[in-house]
Amino acid sequence: MILLKLTQNELFKIFSLVRSYIGLIVFTVIIPLILWAYGMGTTHIEQQIESSVSEMFFIEGSPTNGFTAAYFIMNFFWIHIPFLIALVGGDIFAGEHANGTFRVYATRPISRLSIFVSKTLATMIYTFIFVMYFGLLTLGLGLIWHGVGDMLVFQDGVLILESSDALVRFFIAYFFSFINMALISAIAIFFSTMVRNAIGPVIGTMALFIFVLMVSTLPLDVFEHVQPYLFTTYFSNWEQAFYDPIPWTDLFIGFGLIVSNIIFFLGTAFIIFRRKDILS
Amino acid sequence: MAETSTQTTPQDVQKLGNPTSPALECSSISKRFKTIQALDNVSLTVPVGSIFGFLGPNGAGKSTLIRVVAGLIKADSGQFNILGRSSKTGHLVRKDMSALVDRADFYKNLSAYQNMKILGRLTGHDQDDHVNRLLDLLGLYGRRKDKVKTFSQGMKQRLGLAQALLPNPRLLVLDEPTTGLDPQGMHEIRDFIQKIATQQNVTIFLSSHLLHEVELICSDIALIFNGKLAAQGSMSTIFREIDAVTVELEVDDSTTALAFLEKSDLVSRITQLSNAISIEIQYKNIPELLRVMSATGINIFSASQRNRLENYFLSLMEGK
Repeated sequence: MILLKLTQNELFKIFSLVRSYIGLIVFTVIIPLILWAYGMGTTHIEQQIESSVSEMFFIEGSPTNGFTAAYFIMNFFWIHIPFLIALVGGDIFAGEHANGTFRVYATRPISRLSIFVSKTLATMIYTFIFVMYFGLLTLGLGLIWHGVGDMLVFQDGVLILESSDALVRFFIAYFFSFINMALISAIAIFFSTMVRNAIGPVIGTMALFIFVLMVSTLPLDVFEHVQPYLFTTYFSNWEQAFYDPIPWTDLFIGFGLIVSNIIFFLGTAFIIFRRKDILS
Repeated sequence: MAETSTQTTPQDVQKLGNPTSPALECSSISKRFKTIQALDNVSLTVPVGSIFGFLGPNGAGKSTLIRVVAGLIKADSGQFNILGRSSKTGHLVRKDMSALVDRADFYKNLSAYQNMKILGRLTGHDQDDHVNRLLDLLGLYGRRKDKVKTFSQGMKQRLGLAQALLPNPRLLVLDEPTTGLDPQGMHEIRDFIQKIATQQNVTIFLSSHLLHEVELICSDIALIFNGKLAAQGSMSTIFREIDAVTVELEVDDSTTALAFLEKSDLVSRITQLSNAISIEIQYKNIPELLRVMSATGINIFSASQRNRLENYFLSLMEGK
């Protein structure tokens, strides 16, 4: 019961801050813009698709429909979203330290575990809402704007997914995207427990993300040995939701590694937070 | 008929606290920050119902002890009880305690009312009538919907007190509550503290380096120097230990009074002020002097002690 109230408090605090809406506002502006631009300028892409597959398949509806548009945007955004997500996770502990409000909060008869769990839960709920809002805009608005049809996926050739199947695939993709973004939030929380200003954790999260991303993508022998153990190697695993058949084993290996990282960062963050003396 | 046991078990004490125990009881608390011994085996007892002044110069260890009690830092050794509940119970030790440590800080983008609700929700004390009553008590009801960033320092400090009172504490710990306030703000906070202690029946544990402030409102005090407790007790007991005090006498005939005082063995130093005579005298000799002066026909309109605590404080400092 107390955990519920604490989480409710944390969500109230998150949504009372302007910075929590920055990412949502960015999506609200950019995604409709991309969808509009997508509608204006895919004639060339459409002709290419039709010339390559129309002789072999009958495509129901336009090949550049809402599903294709949503897939196109997801590919484009997965590297940018972490920065927007880290704005909230990075502030969740450090912001309270900077304001001095943590001193007030921590004198109440509440365990540090409860405080930590409630803040983590609230951050994860925010992350979920963030990913869902992204999904709602890309897929929902995409389907309204560009209509429903078979979905074309370019993966070792062209894969055509029926519209009913495509919708399920998107939900799977959003679920794995959420888990990936939850890891970004966990890293931001980890840095947030260590410092007393909210900028440091955001920069720290992005620096770590970019560093690990570089190591996981550079085709150098020395890095190839560690790449299977780096979380960024699995950050685009949501794409596998659109393969046929879905490689569930690969998906869950990536899922396991991401979840292990979440547990590691949150566990370490809790140890730091529990031992921390509040001196300011 | 079944017999009902009224004995308090140790489990009850852990859960409910013990109403007969001191409000706060610290035993051998030590805390070191790298090379600095901030607290060195500090033991003190705060009686229930008192306004307890915790005095010491800057850096003496006042805030460190308060932060240990408030759960903000962990002591290296020692323990404390709050109303009979042991610090070994973890965060539950603070069930009947509330604290305003250092300056009051808030979510500045939220209103006074929203700030109260957020904290009240943590302990189940966020009912509208309770929140509004406390805002009214601290004179902030009319500004409850205003964002805290528009408040003066004095108003913020009052809001901090209102927040501290949310869980209906039996022990209220205040760390330098008048720091940063102008004289009027300091006066207001002192009044509120006295009002809270009497009307709400709350024991107050107050740290300050302002001796005059403590002398005005506290019934008991403790003094700390360099992390070690130097003295503690009720104000009256401590004053009885003071050797010499400065007393200002307001009399009808200052010439006669001066002549009398110069001859008296009880008085050690005499200074004539514009409308009074200042004398230095042993604390225990004050009643006798006043009696003899009256008997010789000198009318005394007032006899007020000046800076008793300061004298005591300085004498202890010199002794260190």
